[in-house]
Parts: sequence; C-alpha cells; structure tokens
Amino acid sequence: MPLPLHHTLPLPLSTLLWIGIGLVVVSQIRILLSTVRAMRGAQSERARRGIEWAYAVVPAIALMVALVFTWQAAREHAMRVDMESRASQTEPS
Amino acid sequence: MTAPAVAVNREPSLARDLIALTKPRIISLLLLTTLAPMLVAGTPSWATIFWTGVGGYLMAGGANAVNMYLDQDIDTVMARTKLRPIPSGRMTARAVLAFGIAIATAATWLLGHYVNVLTSALALSGFYFYVFVYTRWLKRTTPQNIVLGGAAGAFPPLVGWAAVTGRVDLASLYLFLIVFYWTPPHFWALALLKQRDYGKAGVPMAPNIWGERETIDQMLWYTVLLIALSVLPVTFGVFGAFYLASALILGGILLRGVWRIRVLDARSESWIPVAWKVYKYSLLYLALLFVAMAIDRHV
Repeated sequence: MPLPLHHTLPLPLSTLLWIGIGLVVVSQIRILLSTVRAMRGAQSERARRGIEWAYAVVPAIALMVALVFTWQAAREHAMRVDMESRASQTEPS
Repeated sequence: MTAPAVAVNREPSLARDLIALTKPRIISLLLLTTLAPMLVAGTPSWATIFWTGVGGYLMAGGANAVNMYLDQDIDTVMARTKLRPIPSGRMTARAVLAFGIAIATAATWLLGHYVNVLTSALALSGFYFYVFVYTRWLKRTTPQNIVLGGAAGAFPPLVGWAAVTGRVDLASLYLFLIVFYWTPPHFWALALLKQRDYGKAGVPMAPNIWGERETIDQMLWYTVLLIALSVLPVTFGVFGAFYLASALILGGILLRGVWRIRVLDARSESWIPVAWKVYKYSLLYLALLFVAMAIDRHV
C-alpha cells in the first residue's frame, strides 16, 4: 500500500499542495457564484443563461481533473524523493 | 521644405503595415511564453529554438492578421483600433486575409519540417482556436469571451514544450493553465478602462454586461486562482525554491493591485489609474514568471 502523501512529501511541499488545491477550489466556487449573480443581474434569457453557465462550468470541471492529476503526480514525486533519500542513507560512505 | 525626422519615420509603408498586422508587441510576450518553456523542458539546440521562434511568430502573426480581417467592422468603430491598416484604408481586407493565411501556412510547414509534427499541430490548433472559436464565436456572443478565448493565448507554452520533448504532459499543461487563468485579470483590467469603446463596437465585455463590481470580483478570484496554480508545479518537482519565491512575490504584487481596485470601487472612488497599473503590470508579471521558470531550471 502506498504511503499517505504527508508521510513521504516533505512537510512544506505537502502543505503547499493542500493550500494550493484549497485556494483553487475556493476561487473556482467564488467565480461560479459570481457568474450566477452576474447572469441574474444581466437579466438574460433562460437559454442564454444555460449557455453562459456551461461556459463557466466546463473550465471548472477541467480544472478539477487537472487537480486530481496534480495530486497523483505529487504522490509519485514524493515516493521518488523518499526512495532516493533512503538509497542515499543506505549507501556505504 | 523638409518634414521633421519623426514624422518621416512614422510615414506608413507596406512593410510597416505588414508588420503591424502581426501585432508584434503582443507576439513578443507569446514568444517569451514559447521559448521559456523550451528551456524548462530541456536543453534545446539553437536550431530548434530558432525555428520554433520563427514558426511561432508567423503562426501568431497569421492569426492576428486574420483576426483583423474578421474584426474590420468593429476596428473602424473603436478608437484603439481605427488606425489599423484596414480601417484606415491603407490595405484591402482581401490582401490582409491572404497575408494572414500565407504566413500561417508557412509556419505550419516550417514547424512540421524543422521541429516536429506535434509542435506544428499545436501551433495550428492555437491559430484555429483564436480565429474560429474566439474571434468568430465567443468574442461577440458572451461576456466570458476572454475567459474561454484565453486558451488561444495559452497554446504557446505547449508549442515550446512539445518542440523539445515531442509530447504534452502535466508540467506543460500547468504552463497552459497559468496563461489561461492570467487572461481574465489582464484583459478585464483593460476592458474596465475601455468600456465605452467596447460598448460602441457592440462587443459584450464583462464590465459592460455584468457591471464593474462583478467583473472586479471575478478578477480578484481569478488572480487568487492564478497564484495557486502558479505554485502547484513545485509540489511535483517541476520547479524549485527560486521559482516558488518568484511566483509568490510576483503574484502578491498582482493581487495587491486587483485588491486595490476592489477597495476603491467599494468606496466609490476612482480606480482608473490603478486599473492601468494592473493592466501594465500583468504583462510584466507573465513575462517575469516565465523568465523565473527558465532561470529556476538552470540554477
């Protein structure tokens, strides 16, 4: 079973990852909420609102997929760093 | 009687107009976001750098020329664009279209022949996205035109990366995302300043349709998102401490500027000088961020 991320990634990087992901998610939610408010304010037609909503949601979904890949890549990087540091510790001096 | 030297230098000529059609000032930033990723991706040969630079310039220049052909009606109306070669009558629309297509075709061949097919295909995709998706479809139909249209300007990092590695991966995708999410705070700062112009031309920019407050609010959140995205590649080993510090400092300055616009707007005070500063600084931000990427990989 792979180690949890915080066991392998150096703590500052692990913290950076979760702060980064958190900020991306919060910002994206605020952007979507703002778009809904803006569409109401603009008093556009129902069909137009649907299109505008799709324009806002599609990049958001793509971004969430990118975050999943980021988490996986960070985990792989952490394991690689961990293996390299263990190998360097076991090497004879 | 002789005219002053300055006036002679600014006299229109075909060569000057052809260069103007490519929008060289905008392309200089696009080229930087193409070439810096090449240095991040590996150690490219001088020939690869040269042909990617030439191909990138011609492709972006071709897209800009075709854009001027398609936007000739609104370019006539807007103060910012009415001196361009078509609205000023110095070139015919058909000649501009032919020039744009010709140099984009040359770029496709040059990149495919001297660099690799993926690089050529990505650059051509950027051309099509800018011309058909942004200019023809989004620009005149939605206030989110520059959000989605930002993808067109985000192709250059993919082009540069593919020129060196022959593939597209997560690291290059992040460079794409950085340019993509940089576009809203950058362009909306300009759109806030040029609302009347855009309104006259009938281009539905966010400040004209959504209002200033909602646009500024979104600029702020897009800036936060941009800063977060700019630091995430550090977590999977693409960049190190130098880049991280640069991204945080440069992003912090941008965020401070956008925040200041928001505070001034909330107080109903004029934010015009600050919006200009944010617009200009956002250009510097992107340039310096990509320079920091290249330096980080070689220190």
